Amino acid sequence: MANNQLTASPSKQVSLLADSLTTGLTLGQQYVQLLKQLAETESAAELLDAAQQLVTFDLDNVFVKFPQHYQPTDYYLLLMGRLLEMHSNTDFQIQEDLDHHDFYATISSLGDQVHFKFIIDANGTAQLIETQGQEALLYLNLKHKMLRFNNRALVNYFIIALQREYSDLDIRAAVKPLLAFAHALAADLDFVIDLGILDVNNDQHFALQQPTLSLTVIDRLFVATAEFDYMLLNLPQNNGAELRLDRGIKMDLQFDPDDYSQQWFFKVQDPDNQVSFFDLLLHYQLVRQWYLQQREALAVKSDPLLFADDQSSMAVTDDPVATEPTVICHPDGSVTPLDQE
Amino acid sequence: MATEQHQQSAQEVAALINNQIVNKIDFLQQFKAAVADHQDRRIYQLLDNQRYAKEIEHREQQSNNQSVMSLVDDLVDQLSHYLSVNLIDYLGKAYPFFYYEEYQTGHYRIYFGNWWDRREFGELDVLNVRFLFNQDEYAKLQKSFELVHENKRYNSDKIDKISQENDRLQDLIDHQREREERRAKLQDQLKEVSSHSGIWESSKNKESRQNIVDALQKLESEEQESRTAAQTIKDNEQVVLALSKENTILSYEQKSIIDTFGSFEDFELANRNLYASYLASLNDDEKQVNTDGE
Repeated sequence: MANNQLTASPSKQVSLLADSLTTGLTLGQQYVQLLKQLAETESAAELLDAAQQLVTFDLDNVFVKFPQHYQPTDYYLLLMGRLLEMHSNTDFQIQEDLDHHDFYATISSLGDQVHFKFIIDANGTAQLIETQGQEALLYLNLKHKMLRFNNRALVNYFIIALQREYSDLDIRAAVKPLLAFAHALAADLDFVIDLGILDVNNDQHFALQQPTLSLTVIDRLFVATAEFDYMLLNLPQNNGAELRLDRGIKMDLQFDPDDYSQQWFFKVQDPDNQVSFFDLLLHYQLVRQWYLQQREALAVKSDPLLFADDQSSMAVTDDPVATEPTVICHPDGSVTPLDQE
Repeated sequence: MATEQHQQSAQEVAALINNQIVNKIDFLQQFKAAVADHQDRRIYQLLDNQRYAKEIEHREQQSNNQSVMSLVDDLVDQLSHYLSVNLIDYLGKAYPFFYYEEYQTGHYRIYFGNWWDRREFGELDVLNVRFLFNQDEYAKLQKSFELVHENKRYNSDKIDKISQENDRLQDLIDHQREREERRAKLQDQLKEVSSHSGIWESSKNKESRQNIVDALQKLESEEQESRTAAQTIKDNEQVVLALSKENTILSYEQKSIIDTFGSFEDFELANRNLYASYLASLNDDEKQVNTDGE
């Protein structure tokens, strides 16, 4: 090897170096092109393509060193910002942190001091977090085209943490761009989305984490209704209770009478198909107080995104949600409980 | 002569029987027709002409002909079932908070409400168009209407008492350390005082020694109570929940009555007039058909 180098002609050496530099520069050129595509394209598909390539782009080259550049987490945020921009949503603003050379986002109704960022967990799933709370509000996987909201974090952050400082209208406005992002991913890019407790669909079931439910928990809601103008009714087949709220809004806590396992779930129905379980927690003190006081018994299932074809996903143990029943999501959107694997 | 008389009376008897049979046939034919056409008002009239005359036609002292009415005595369950259809339909609108369960043919249990927890409230007497409320349950409702004026609920006093007891028990649990300190102090004092005891013990010394012993005994009994206090508090909370549930049920019932009738008094008035109101509503329905022949 050393011999070869010695015997190679100078021109050959220069030529080899030039080739290596060209490779480095080409890499840089690709990078620049992808950045431009991410920043300027008006096509959702091209935007996703750029983001997807950039998050795995390896800019390291022995011969060509590039100056300060962005991190994969920034591309997720830029993807979100640009997609919302395409849908004329201006509530979610991307800002650059000049000290750290990275990006963060703010939401209009929460002001400038509340910052959102993406982080990437051990199995390559991006998570949108609020920088103080650190809990994943939503999980995003570009490769598998899936987005899922994290029910537990939605409650912890929007219902508990923000409730002290913000009105419920501000909080509702803050959730809107997150929902708009999910809907845009589904509509423009065929993502499979799981809106969790933000889902307004009347048929949606929100299964409880606990396998059984003590009826005393429902008794407490019944007793609490005496202070309000709302009534808690018994379901006709004695399979749960229904809380009658305003304008035809109904919240059921029930199980399917034909279901042997008696899996309890929440269901929220309203005439316009516009109200989610999250909305009830936000707007109705009765529901919120009861849910938070009995949260251990009432917590709605909250599953992270894990993929069967991703080896590292099986090894995640320090994830705070790992103690909760874990499921595996398949790229087709089907879900398998991990303990059946 | 005797035979003739007997014959004559036999003829009278035959006439009487004939007359009675005609009456019975007539009654049954009217009944048959009324049932065939589902003329419920007419059926109610045939079942109790006296009440019908009084309450609907405002004619007093029409007596019932028991001899014909007893003809359908063995059909009461079936008739009750038959007449319940329209009656329960009417009650569904007039008393939207009552629910009925036919636990055997023609017999109906009343439930107050369809809420999470509700009470069985008595029975529906279809043939007489009246509620037979369970007197104990009814008295609770009446009482809770009275208590509204005092801004109280049916179980308020009981709940307050148990809550105070729980506060006291919680206090015992919270002050365990203070009790121990106090006991140590008292025991020291007792040692001190006891050293001055003996045959020449002053009455003052004797008294203070007794006081210390009493205080120590009181502490000991508090300590014993605090050992079971946590469980007692839990048990009491269950009792409070049950009492609160009963309060909630009663407040739902009150609310329903006020929403529908305006007041408890108006509810009771409606109950008393139920027969007349119901039959009047049937009258309206039948005017259009007018197969009544009246």
